[in-house]
Amino acid sequence: MNIFAVTAYFAETLPIVFYLIFLKRNRGEGLWVIFLYCVLSLLTEAIFAITRQPVVFSIFIILQFTLFSFFFYSSLKGKRVKYIPIVGALVFYGFAIANFTNKRFDSISTSLSSVLIISYCILLLYEQIRDSTTEFVYYNKKFWVIIAFFIYSSATLFLYIYFSTLSGQQRHSYWIINNFFEILKNILFSVSFIMKKRDKPAYAMDTLDT
Amino acid sequence: MIFLEVTNPGNVSIVLFFGTIGMLALTIGLIVFIIFHQRKVIRYQLRLQRMEEDQQKLLLNASIRLQEEERQRIAADLHDDAGPLLATARLYLNENLVNLDKTTQLQSIYNAKQIIDDTIQLIRNISHSLMPPTLKNFGLESAVNDLFQKISGSGSMNASSRFHDYRERLQAENELIIFRVIQELVNNILKHSNASFIHLTQNTSGSKFFIRLHHDGRGITQTDFNKLNKSNVGLGLKNIQSRLKVLHGKIFFEKDMSQTYYKVTIELVKEEEDKLRSPE
Repeated sequence: MNIFAVTAYFAETLPIVFYLIFLKRNRGEGLWVIFLYCVLSLLTEAIFAITRQPVVFSIFIILQFTLFSFFFYSSLKGKRVKYIPIVGALVFYGFAIANFTNKRFDSISTSLSSVLIISYCILLLYEQIRDSTTEFVYYNKKFWVIIAFFIYSSATLFLYIYFSTLSGQQRHSYWIINNFFEILKNILFSVSFIMKKRDKPAYAMDTLDT
Repeated sequence: MIFLEVTNPGNVSIVLFFGTIGMLALTIGLIVFIIFHQRKVIRYQLRLQRMEEDQQKLLLNASIRLQEEERQRIAADLHDDAGPLLATARLYLNENLVNLDKTTQLQSIYNAKQIIDDTIQLIRNISHSLMPPTLKNFGLESAVNDLFQKISGSGSMNASSRFHDYRERLQAENELIIFRVIQELVNNILKHSNASFIHLTQNTSGSKFFIRLHHDGRGITQTDFNKLNKSNVGLGLKNIQSRLKVLHGKIFFEKDMSQTYYKVTIELVKEEEDKLRSPE
């Protein structure tokens, strides 16, 4: 186990701890889905460490994508686009069940999940900038969650696509990309959980003029 | 994912490296673009909002100043005209107490009566200028016709008006607002344009209510109107603007197609009028 893998594992506890500490700040923000995802992710690693059954990862991918889909479904405001995550989830379930294996890593399903998440992130960001009533995007808690998913999924997309073609040695060396962005993702989740809620639009002419 | 398939395993590292870097660059670029774009949009919206607030302030100031001027005019009328008249009438009546000669008493009572009649007329004029009775009793059409007849009667200008579709009267307050706007426009034409005629027409088109004023004098165009509205001069025009804002109405100043006449169009939406009427 290298240092990145260990740090990545412990980094998963960060958002859980911060969510629980700043529970009040995160109430009513719809971030409990992300909290659940972090708990699920940590549990999967723990269960795998005990059982050594790779099937737990295949189950985890399906559960994880269900949570993502729910998060995006509840975050999207447009009536038409709101149903895209549901359709995406159905497509994903089809692929995931068809490729359900007892291997530790299912390249096709994970890549598809990354592509879908990237699309949802773009959709959500587009919706946020089109909404003229929105305050600065970076004062929105969900923005940090979205960019966490966006950066993580973009950075690991090629790794997931080519994972099945890599040799054991290559997999081991390149998995560092996943670990690094896993840490970054958890830091961004933590930022989202730590930041305060804002009641008023967080901008002022004075701050803009400078 | 077929298009991403790499046959040579040696190339996987290169594709993976450049693919990951490319995706990251795109993602970060997009996020930065979104942040800056939004800042730009919000900054633009705030500028617009600030401009709108400034404009509102100007209109409010103009309306307050106009109100004050109106009060001063009424106070001056009462103080300078009605006050001395009543004081004189009082003097005549006082004279009756000291002078016991019947003829002189009758003469002074007659004089006092004359003065009181004048005062009544003066107060009636002040009251009419505040709220024309024709407007209150007979509506906008009659009040405008009355106003135009008076202008024509003075002989200085030929003024005529024609209401094509005014079977249903607007709400009384709204009629007053429109009448004041017309009064202000006519005043401006009389004062500044040197026109030989004014012609007013009223008509409706669908849910829209139009009043058009034509004159052959020196007028202003929409650009002039906008400029004057933003400057500190043109109190009357600002007043027109603020009055029309209450009705969600619009005003357009333009030169006629023939370039001979100036045209002012007041446009109101009848539904807005109904909305204002409904809370009653």
